[in-house]
Amino acid sequence: MLRRFLDELRSMSHRAVVSPVTFSLLFAFALAAAIVAVTGGDPLAAGAEMFTGAVTGSGLRNTLGRAIPIVGMALAVSIAFRSGIINLGGEGQMVIGGLAGTIVSIYVPGPGAVIVPLAMLTGAAVGALWAMLPAYGQTRLRLPILITSLLLNYVARAITGYLVRFPLSDVSVTLATTRQVPESARMPKMPIFGGVSLSLILVILLVALLWMVYTRTVVGYETQMAGFNMRSARYGGIDVEQRTVQVMMVGGAIGGLIGTHLIIGEALRFIDGELVLSGFAWTGLLVALLAVNRPIPIFITGLFFSGLQIGGLAMQRNAGVSWRLSQVLQAVVIVAVACRLSIRRSGRRRTEAGEAESAGVGEI
Amino acid sequence: MFEQIFDTALFDSATRAMIPILLAALGGMICERAGVFQIALEGMMLAGAFAAVAGSYLALNSGAGVLFGIAAGMLISLALAYGTVTRRGDSIVLGIALNLLAMGLTGFLLPQLFDVRGVFQHPRIDGLDRIAIPGLSQIPWVGPVLFDNTIPTYLALLLVPALWVFLFRTPIGLRLRGVGERPLAAETLGVSPTVYKYGAVLASGALAGMAGAQLSLGNVVQFAENMSSGRGWVAVVAVMLGRAHPVGVLAAAALFALAEALGFRFQGNGLPVQVTDALPFVVTLIALIVARKRFVRLLDLTTAA
Repeated sequence: MLRRFLDELRSMSHRAVVSPVTFSLLFAFALAAAIVAVTGGDPLAAGAEMFTGAVTGSGLRNTLGRAIPIVGMALAVSIAFRSGIINLGGEGQMVIGGLAGTIVSIYVPGPGAVIVPLAMLTGAAVGALWAMLPAYGQTRLRLPILITSLLLNYVARAITGYLVRFPLSDVSVTLATTRQVPESARMPKMPIFGGVSLSLILVILLVALLWMVYTRTVVGYETQMAGFNMRSARYGGIDVEQRTVQVMMVGGAIGGLIGTHLIIGEALRFIDGELVLSGFAWTGLLVALLAVNRPIPIFITGLFFSGLQIGGLAMQRNAGVSWRLSQVLQAVVIVAVACRLSIRRSGRRRTEAGEAESAGVGEI
Repeated sequence: MFEQIFDTALFDSATRAMIPILLAALGGMICERAGVFQIALEGMMLAGAFAAVAGSYLALNSGAGVLFGIAAGMLISLALAYGTVTRRGDSIVLGIALNLLAMGLTGFLLPQLFDVRGVFQHPRIDGLDRIAIPGLSQIPWVGPVLFDNTIPTYLALLLVPALWVFLFRTPIGLRLRGVGERPLAAETLGVSPTVYKYGAVLASGALAGMAGAQLSLGNVVQFAENMSSGRGWVAVVAVMLGRAHPVGVLAAAALFALAEALGFRFQGNGLPVQVTDALPFVVTLIALIVARKRFVRLLDLTTAA
């Protein structure tokens, strides 16, 4: 028994050492160190600041707090990725849903126990509706989700920017922002690590729920089959069009939840452009890619990327190296891994001659 | 009313808006023809815009700036070519990651090298001069708009017929299209897909880098964070709508540029900036819906699994 466990452990650690992810991480850190050195910084000091900043003092609390939107947005896009649908509209879904949730939290009177869930649900519903647009665009009009979901991000920015600047504007401050979320309508903080938002529980529940759905239910199996091979999924009796719309809407709903959390749990005001600037949707997308859309690895990778960013901010304060280095690191990891990895794993790999495999081409 | 809106100034600003999109889209078109799905245009354009300003600042010369921009675009495209062609990785994953890499890297280097946040402006940055072509620039209406312009602008406009000739009237162009359409046949005839795909991706990097240089040294003389602001994605759509044909791509780029220029104009007439900012993207989406039966290959590449 013990020997089997030890063998298992040994093979796991062996796989971890030789995995392309480990190699890619080392490569990314080496490249980042080189960039710091070339631009006149001290890579060792920067690295030390990054590490201690992420896990010591208030770092741990901030790392957990920032993991909420990163893991959440990763879960949101991974649902679509798993079905072979490339949803690049996470940002728009988060921003539009977030503003809708904020509006409820500010303008609907009532006790917090009612308003907070209501705001979150509203954010989720509006995020889902926004994600429905590119979904129907693909199933009804044959417009690729990859393109339409991305273009809609810019439309979402414009709509929220307009609303925040004019009808919803708080005229008492010079910023383009909504009013502040009233005390009673805020997402409570848990008394752990000096105050982490209750939304962390929500994200952990989502991870568990998706893990159950993926590994234990027919729906989870069907959505994944569609990701592997749409044509055979269709032959197997799966309504691919309907699944596309459902999968997009669930992803959009999670995006809207996270957007709402970011306002009623963190910023407390919807300031024009802040949610876009945070880049959480894109960090989450990279996390989903690195974790190959599996919920538990997404949680771990999300914590890691969150730590990179929090550590990066400490590095900026104490070592004078811009935290944006964390973004460079994250992207380099994915570029390095992508030389081995595909969103659709077994999907549309290119054959030896570089020709796209003909299976499924010509159909949605 | 009509004449108040559609005047020379409008077409001048439409031309400015069009050139970066056109340059990037022509690069995307070459890749599409060679069978490489190119969605890193946005990142290459952004990197080009940054490197052009940095190069112009260091060398005190806009020409050097443009070369820096081209080099930056090509560097990113080299990573894309290596990943997709040599390592056979997923071009969509690589494209997304490289776009984010360009965003992170320019955001990192801006404070690190120039000690500024958000926007970098400096008298040392040499902007691209407008060079009037004697005679042609005297033509009323068209002359001052098209023939009193920057070198990347002339290059972009010349590339439209030049790439048409290249793709459809030269042996190399034929082989490039062969690699994209019938890779096995091309390889049987001794045409190396690897060489042609590398060439196509590197060319798109150079063009998108130049597009960035026109953006940061031609249209304005400064670098602002994320200043490509979706133009690379609009260029991807222009390739789709233009069916990877030089004239079609030109028409699509012109349409989006006109929307952008009209947006600016309406902004002057009191429309909120948020509404006018969204105009090119809304027009792009509408154009996609209207022309949905006409773009075929790229759609299959992105939606088939």
